[in-house]
Amino acid sequence: MSKKVDERIPREVGSGVLPDNPAARSPWGKLVSYRDAIHYSARYNAVFSASALQALRILVPDYKERATLMSDNAYKRLYQVFTSQYGPYAMDEQNSHPFFRGNFGGGLTGDAGDDALLMCGRVNDFGTYRVEKELDVCDWDIVGSDLCRATTQSLQGTADGQATHLQPGTKLEYCMVEAKGCGDPHCRIVAESRDKYPMPEHEIWESFGPIATEDQIRYTPEEDMVKESQVFREECNNTFCNGTCWERDASSVYKQPATAATTYIFPAIEQLIAEKKFDEKFVNHILRCVFEASGKAAFGEFYAKEGLRNWLGVPRDIDDGRIMGAHIEMFLQCMLVDYEIEAFNNEEVIYVIDRNRLTFNTPRAVDAFVYMWYGMTKTLVSAEWSLWEEPNDTPADKLRIKIAKKIDKFC
Amino acid sequence: MTNKNIYKYDNMKRTEHMAVRKTAGWYLWTHHLMEVTGRDSAIFLDKIYANPIANLKVGRDRYTTMLNDNAEIIDDVVVFRLGEEKFWISTLFMNKLKPWLDQHKGEYEVQYTNITKKYHMYAVQGPKAKELINSMVEENIDDQKFFSIKDNKIDGIPVKINYGGFTGEKFGYEIYFPSEEIGKIEAELKKHGEPLGAKEVTEFQIMAWTLPTEAGFYYLRDLLHTNPIEVGLDSGIDWDKDFIGKEALLKVKENGPAREMLGFTMDQDDVHLNAKDLGGPGDPIIVDGEEIGRLSKFNYSYVLDKNVGYILAKKDALKIGDKIKIKDYEAVISERKFI
Repeated sequence: MSKKVDERIPREVGSGVLPDNPAARSPWGKLVSYRDAIHYSARYNAVFSASALQALRILVPDYKERATLMSDNAYKRLYQVFTSQYGPYAMDEQNSHPFFRGNFGGGLTGDAGDDALLMCGRVNDFGTYRVEKELDVCDWDIVGSDLCRATTQSLQGTADGQATHLQPGTKLEYCMVEAKGCGDPHCRIVAESRDKYPMPEHEIWESFGPIATEDQIRYTPEEDMVKESQVFREECNNTFCNGTCWERDASSVYKQPATAATTYIFPAIEQLIAEKKFDEKFVNHILRCVFEASGKAAFGEFYAKEGLRNWLGVPRDIDDGRIMGAHIEMFLQCMLVDYEIEAFNNEEVIYVIDRNRLTFNTPRAVDAFVYMWYGMTKTLVSAEWSLWEEPNDTPADKLRIKIAKKIDKFC
Repeated sequence: MTNKNIYKYDNMKRTEHMAVRKTAGWYLWTHHLMEVTGRDSAIFLDKIYANPIANLKVGRDRYTTMLNDNAEIIDDVVVFRLGEEKFWISTLFMNKLKPWLDQHKGEYEVQYTNITKKYHMYAVQGPKAKELINSMVEENIDDQKFFSIKDNKIDGIPVKINYGGFTGEKFGYEIYFPSEEIGKIEAELKKHGEPLGAKEVTEFQIMAWTLPTEAGFYYLRDLLHTNPIEVGLDSGIDWDKDFIGKEALLKVKENGPAREMLGFTMDQDDVHLNAKDLGGPGDPIIVDGEEIGRLSKFNYSYVLDKNVGYILAKKDALKIGDKIKIKDYEAVISERKFI
């Protein structure tokens, strides 16, 4: 018999939960460990992002056209960010070396970003002419393969932007040759120098390969896969450390609500509006339809509601708007979004939320959250209840939402 | 899924690596440079680094580790003495060095400036490196001593030539020059190098991993959270002076190190192993059901034509010649230096 003690929180008997092991807390005192909170919100964001992509799919039904829009938009924005003064700052932070040439160092950013998004795995190759990263987990695997293509181009933009601060060198082309969202066991990014490994040119959205170095792929079998980022693994001393000695602890995990949506999907939607491809009113209508339905679907089954009550520790005699409020609070706490409670009783629940933190400066995503939470309220509480924004007398940087009973003959 | 060896069959990497071993190779090897000046600069650096700095003669340089209070290595650098009160520190981790110096500056009369942007550096390494350098510089370097740095000129450009390197080659040099002259220096290296059969090394994996590993050298990732005694970097430490981490390191010296860094070779070519050099914890080394260490480094020796690497293992858990399995692959424990 093995005497191994599996990883657990807290590690030591008697060390308690707080303050050594930080946690989020529901209104009824149910504690959710920092690790669980981060995992929960990562998946929450993926679900939100999946809805956002469905909206974009309605607006742009053609796969190639949509993937091109998202890829091009992502590349340009990330390239711009990394050609700016942020580029050298980020490169210093990740210990990019001054003798790096070309764009292979961009792989360091991708690797650290994956770990911070809980997309754990490993770097299998890191060189001037080839880089390979293999992921075992991807919470975004439900969003859509068009997102995978856009993320690949964001990495390309990041790498190319960083290269502008270095001496010229070979340029790698980043490809996602496997994607968990497509059914593959891993996500796998392989970047290859076309000087060394020539391949025919392709359009920007065609970033899934084929590649020239398939025979160099290092495939990790299921039994050796990891489930946690380095910051949540004892064998890593709960520290992410890359090959250039960039060390980060669990506080580095991304706490940006709706990252996939706000980084890749809403910017593409905004581009469509800016280019006058669609009227803003129509876009908002689509978002409302999709997100309300998505919210309703979340708790349509009785067992989903039971599961949430258990997760939040809801007392048996409570079955009103406070459940929905608690659901939102838990998400906000996990994402470190500031909020104030104006009311929390069996008749009404009112929150005032930091609007900018909620959506990482993507205003339209705030509306999407309100639509989704409205839909959730209908099934998590009941059709008598509703959730809406109360913008009057609320500062522009705040989102004031109310949960209460409401009759609406046009809902 | 073949896990095809990314080194063995790659002729480009092989050619670049072997140029350094057989003729010469040159490559951009610019490091961060911190210039340290001031009346207390020598004693300040003596405090910061484990190896002695104050006794360096002007024009000489020295490799040393930098430790934290727990005696863990947090950087390894080369310190050059350019004047009585002027030093250069060559590091790859300026973002760690600067705050560390800030933290310990105290009352020392010392100034330090990041001058990385002012200088690029080319490494020129291999049996014909001296010949190549001599064909470029105005002042012959035949008499220059190992670990010394001297002013010189290349095509009228003021440069500093350092006799040293990271490849284990007897003749290894580094050319420091004003950054804006990189195009001219590059052209000079090509012009004088190619007739000698020298090659430009362009692959990061060759300059940073395969060449140094063959020679038993470390990259900081190998050393992180170790102490100098367990990784064999204690021979140059001056125990008579005070330095950060000394107290903790003395305890290690007294009690003996808990771990040691060993080398290994592996005959099987096409394998899939994860070492710390690519990030993460490194694959565990399991012997008789017990984890006795982790894989620190895994790459390839073109001279031996086989996979090689380092293992950080519990002290005395392994000995030279032991045959072990890393995952499913057989390895033989060896010295850390392979050539």
